[in-house]
Amino acid sequence: MRKTIIAVFLTIAAVLGAKAQTRLIGRLISVEQQAIEGATITLANQSLSTTTNDEGKFSLTYLDAIDEEVIVEAYGYISDILLVQLVENQLTDLGDIVLQPDISTELKEEVILNLAEIDLNDDEGKSQSMSSASSASQDVFNATISYAWSNARYRGRGYEQIYEQNYIEGISFNSAERGQFNFSAMGGLNDATRYREVVEGMEASNFTFGSWGKSTNYMQSATNYAQGWKVGLAGTNRNYKGAARATYSSGLMENGWAFTAQLAWRYTPYIDVKGQIGEGISYSSVGYFFTAEKQWGKDKRLSLITFGAPTRRGQSSALTQETYDLTNQYNKTSWGYNNYNPYWGYQNGKVRNSRIVHSYDPTVIASFDWKINEQNFLKAGVGYHYSMYSNSALTFYNATDPRPDYYRNLPSFLWDGQIDKNGNWINESYDGDKLGQGGDSHYGYVGPSIDMNTYNTLVDLWTSRDDKATQIDWDALYAANNANNVNNPNGSARYIVERRHNDIQEGMINLNYRNTAVENLTITAGLEVKGSQGIHYKTVDDLLGGNQWIDVDPFAERDIKELATNIGLTQADIANVKQNDMRNPNACITDHGRFGYDYRINMINAKLWAQNEWNWNNVDLYYGLQFTYSSIQRTTDMLNGRAWYLAKLNPDYAFYYLANNADAVLNSDINALPTRLKGYTYHFVDPAVKVGATYKIDGRNQIKVNAMAETKAPLGRDAYLSPRVHDRATESIYRHANPVAYAQMYGTSVLEEYFGASQKIAGGDLTYSFNYPLVRGRVTGFFTQFWNGTELNGYYDDEARTFVNQSLTGINRRHMGVEAAAAVKLGMYFTLTGVLSVGDYRYTSNALAITSAENGMALADESDRAANDLTQGPIFELRDSVLIKGLRVATGPQVNASLKLSFFHPKMWFADVTVNYFDWNFLDYAPARRMQGLFTGVRADGSHVNGSYIDSEINAIAKDENGNTMYDKYGVPVLNYPYNLHSAQESLVDGNVLNRFLVDVSVGKLIYLPNRQSISINLTVNNLLNNTHFKTGGYQQARLPRQTKQGLTNNKIVSVISPNAWKFPSKYYYAWGTNFYLNIQYKF
Amino acid sequence: MKTMKFIIHNSKFIIATALVALFAACTPDEPTKLYISEAEADAMIEAGTCLTIEEFKAAYMTEEGNYCMPDLYRERSKAGNYYLFSIDTIPVSDTPIYMRGRVTTDDYAGNFYKTLCIQQMVGGKQQALRLSVDAGSIGGLYQLGQEILIRVDGLAIGRYANQPQLCLPSYNNNIYANKAEEKVGWAAGRIPFAIFKARTQCIGTPDKSKLYYDTLKITDYNHITSLIEARSWDAKLVCIENVHFTGQLDNNGTPKNCTNGDPEIDTEANVFAPTTENMNYPQGRIIKDAQDKWTLVSTSEYAKYAHFYLPANNYWGNVVGILGFYYDNGKNYSKYPPEASDWSISIRSLDDLQLYDGDDHWLYDANGNYKPGYEYSKN
Repeated sequence: MRKTIIAVFLTIAAVLGAKAQTRLIGRLISVEQQAIEGATITLANQSLSTTTNDEGKFSLTYLDAIDEEVIVEAYGYISDILLVQLVENQLTDLGDIVLQPDISTELKEEVILNLAEIDLNDDEGKSQSMSSASSASQDVFNATISYAWSNARYRGRGYEQIYEQNYIEGISFNSAERGQFNFSAMGGLNDATRYREVVEGMEASNFTFGSWGKSTNYMQSATNYAQGWKVGLAGTNRNYKGAARATYSSGLMENGWAFTAQLAWRYTPYIDVKGQIGEGISYSSVGYFFTAEKQWGKDKRLSLITFGAPTRRGQSSALTQETYDLTNQYNKTSWGYNNYNPYWGYQNGKVRNSRIVHSYDPTVIASFDWKINEQNFLKAGVGYHYSMYSNSALTFYNATDPRPDYYRNLPSFLWDGQIDKNGNWINESYDGDKLGQGGDSHYGYVGPSIDMNTYNTLVDLWTSRDDKATQIDWDALYAANNANNVNNPNGSARYIVERRHNDIQEGMINLNYRNTAVENLTITAGLEVKGSQGIHYKTVDDLLGGNQWIDVDPFAERDIKELATNIGLTQADIANVKQNDMRNPNACITDHGRFGYDYRINMINAKLWAQNEWNWNNVDLYYGLQFTYSSIQRTTDMLNGRAWYLAKLNPDYAFYYLANNADAVLNSDINALPTRLKGYTYHFVDPAVKVGATYKIDGRNQIKVNAMAETKAPLGRDAYLSPRVHDRATESIYRHANPVAYAQMYGTSVLEEYFGASQKIAGGDLTYSFNYPLVRGRVTGFFTQFWNGTELNGYYDDEARTFVNQSLTGINRRHMGVEAAAAVKLGMYFTLTGVLSVGDYRYTSNALAITSAENGMALADESDRAANDLTQGPIFELRDSVLIKGLRVATGPQVNASLKLSFFHPKMWFADVTVNYFDWNFLDYAPARRMQGLFTGVRADGSHVNGSYIDSEINAIAKDENGNTMYDKYGVPVLNYPYNLHSAQESLVDGNVLNRFLVDVSVGKLIYLPNRQSISINLTVNNLLNNTHFKTGGYQQARLPRQTKQGLTNNKIVSVISPNAWKFPSKYYYAWGTNFYLNIQYKF
Repeated sequence: MKTMKFIIHNSKFIIATALVALFAACTPDEPTKLYISEAEADAMIEAGTCLTIEEFKAAYMTEEGNYCMPDLYRERSKAGNYYLFSIDTIPVSDTPIYMRGRVTTDDYAGNFYKTLCIQQMVGGKQQALRLSVDAGSIGGLYQLGQEILIRVDGLAIGRYANQPQLCLPSYNNNIYANKAEEKVGWAAGRIPFAIFKARTQCIGTPDKSKLYYDTLKITDYNHITSLIEARSWDAKLVCIENVHFTGQLDNNGTPKNCTNGDPEIDTEANVFAPTTENMNYPQGRIIKDAQDKWTLVSTSEYAKYAHFYLPANNYWGNVVGILGFYYDNGKNYSKYPPEASDWSISIRSLDDLQLYDGDDHWLYDANGNYKPGYEYSKN
């Protein structure tokens, strides 16, 4: 924005040069008398604006001599409007304009960042939609929604976080592998994130080419911070209970140095109150932030920055409706009672959570700004960070599933088999005799074929929150290991806590050059280079009293019988399959040893971009071009037995699984191979282009249009089918790597093959904005089309009875909608703001899925192959269409509305109450439940499906009166109840309209003390009306319930889809009930 | 200076305090309640009633059962005057009723599924019972040799194919089962894991040395065709002496040679349990003694060793396992009256086959290591 305004300033000077000098000058300062740089000064009646320089000064010349409204806006400060009468050929000096700090927004941002941190890296199902850091924008829409909608996990225009860009001092910090920014890297360090430039969407920017969501550049130079001390305390009933912070800033010293440092601490012990927000969770985080700046004159400055926030935090789980309802019977009187968390249990009487996240991203940055002359500016930076992220989880070997909410442990498991094809309780015997009336349990009516005594006993255990039935029974796990040590001292522990590490180390270089030598034109160019390595492995976190863990794959071991099928290997060969590392078979792992998998994804990412901005009197125009080079390579330190097995089984395609090492692995001594086995490197080049214009109708009204198109290489995390096991990349990547050969093979073009692996995106937006003394706001329409997205999923497949990986490609989707906002001043103290976003984000095509078993077993028999498929042997990779066309994209509510009444008194009282309404919020679909083969009996690859909706045993396919299959408008067969519940996309919105509202209030006061000291207090209360029915997200379980049909020949497990749609129900995340955040800050 | 003097003067105390603090900080929280002691078990029993396994069966297991079973009159359910399937619920008692026993099964190798067998020595004789629990790999929590104390009031005792078991009523509505018309209906079902766990205590740590084996000859039991008598033999841990595998299967009461076919498609392949063509029943392979008497070794097709080749017939020795008498008189099963092939031995793992050819063990090489591909034992 600053760049834009400088350009506009120059434009004014050039175009209005002939006018006499009617001037307006002034200086913006804070209450601490510190100059405010980068503030926007707008003359509402003349379409003119400028920004303040590093001394806080501004100057506008060649003005019309009229009554003018001067709008003063600065991030972090309360906006001001000054009425000025400009006199012809005279200088009007506004003197020092003191802006009051926007303490309310500042203190609320910590709440938003806290949410972002919790949501990131959620590894159950797909990542939850999450709210990124609040907007720095003065735009009414963005300024309001960042806080008001964060609790509902609103995502701007439905874009995932990979479509947002996050920079620190101009250096890109989006992970190359996951595409996201890790907010926990700066957890609790509110000063590290305080100052930033934000560019909405694809608009022109001086630090990035931009993306579809917003781009944020965190500015951490030491001179941004006001000199002095700032200490703060916070108390909350959210996932941590207390926080303390202290910041010291030296200000710019005479020797040209400035220093700022912050320490932040957040903590809660384990919460041992069932039903309370955060039950079973602990939280401990210490953050540090240090930035030093050296200035040489006004032209050069060097910033050295380091920060990190070692954090340990317990997690909570998504819940099925049943566990939510059962546990809600308990402890209803406390604040927010829908907080059951199955991840914890008592160990020796003390709370222990099984899912503990450890995160720490030590980061160092060096940034150099060089104002070469008035027309040329260069910014260069280097950065490095090592993101240590790991999450613990219970795992077990030849022992009972320890999860209390495992589906077989719930009362509803007794329903299995007791529901007929119409979704009703069975009430007749096989012979047609009445079974009885059923009964009312403490949890609703159940059919007569369920033993009420058994059912009620289970329900009672749940409603009373029995420690051993509804929480992890740690003592029993220790007891099992203890017994195992006696019986089998050299065997594998029955239970352990494993730690799944997903580390990333990245080194970045950034160059940014800006030139304003040509009149009305600003040229900006950037080079961003990033080397990245994702490091993935598991360690034993706690043996839970066991002697050791033996590193074999339990699924491969269990299915050893199936693995031996049809391949002519010896039983000794087959025993290799279960090894996670054939070079270290049956490895005996003790505390903190690595096991399971140990692979890396190496990536290089380089962006070269340039942008031109033309600024004239009534029109601004920009256009830009970007080329991105990226590469992906997997390496592994473990030679997985399933990779070897699949390679041996498919020698012609051995390279799929072992890349260049295939021949050596299959035919040589595996122990002679290098420790690190390298896979193929895949290279991508992707272009992007954008263009936009602003037409200023007058000083109060303008129209803006933006458009962009790009291709985007797959992320490292989505490139491989089963990265823990082998090198097999997605099909489109192989075709991309050999475009000429595949073009000849399939009769396609080379370009088509080359860009076949990349996602293509095109879109734009159109905005009308207005700014009057009493009302300001905007209306925006947007449209974005995504083609050929990729995604990787994993789940337990009930038909194959094993864990499978599923790679989705060809995902097309469209995001379109309208955003509107208006803020109306109501007298001196009140402002009423209305904000609305209505979106329609949905899939516009079906996708292609390739599914393979993680344990290497075949997923279909040779006899299932298509009639024209001459390939022999069982099928290891199933190819099918996923029927998602028309489904909604699950990225938060698509209808969001707020009405906010704000109060501000010049004596620095501020308060607001916001009523929010959310609708059109949809649950993420499970691809496994939308496979074409399920609906037609035949997969896209022509193979036969063992158990589908068309089976005559079940009455799943809806027929019209003529007996013809009914189809929905996307061509998918309509299913009868209850089978339709298996595959339908659920709405997260509660049936009761009142439960779609969330009400937030906030009140605060800033007290000025002598000697530039101040105290600020702010209390925010979210979900004031304690709406505990508000679902913020979740996921559909992929596992489809099935029954086995006995008595058929040719050794087929004939699987029948069960009508028990409640066996593997969806899981949901709920908004916290009433919660507060009290923040007190003292500046001196 | 004063401070330094204080430190020096009190150095031992300070060091000791620091060490204690360090030790306290480094000592992990160990659970205290891994199991109950004998004394605690005795105290619990004293506050209630403890029945032997046979007392328990006698007290609560009736011929017809007391639970609603409209399907009792199906041909499968009844054999002469005897009911093969039954459920007797045991009302909740004001004073707890217990039963104790030692676990004789292990499901590591996959030949036992959601079943525990327990034994109890009473007057020098073994009593045994099956416990049906809805938890995969239940043997991980209640391990071989573990003594357990179970509160049984509020549960049920039933019979499934004449095999007594601790259970809870369950309506089997598997309409896709073979002969579903005979099978659908109330039956002795598995006890939900949460309920079983809430009622079961481990007494001490497992002690396999305290397991008792009834050493038997095949002729000691396979002539028994009385359904009542068979119920008292079922679930016992036994050792059958001096037997060998013959490479045969049971063909309606007559031994038949196994084939060399692919176990995935050949139901008569020379392995422990080839495909059942999706019938999902355990499969029998014949062992014979020196008198040419035979009985079956029963293996689930889900056992990890199901497709392993049978030991060659030159390996002789003992076979240890759980004795079972499974009698299912369903329509078209056509097996009335009971006969020798209703008896079988279910081994816990391949280690239960103590077979030798001279000094050569069928499972281990001369160094005591498993022969290639045969490592699914250990427990």
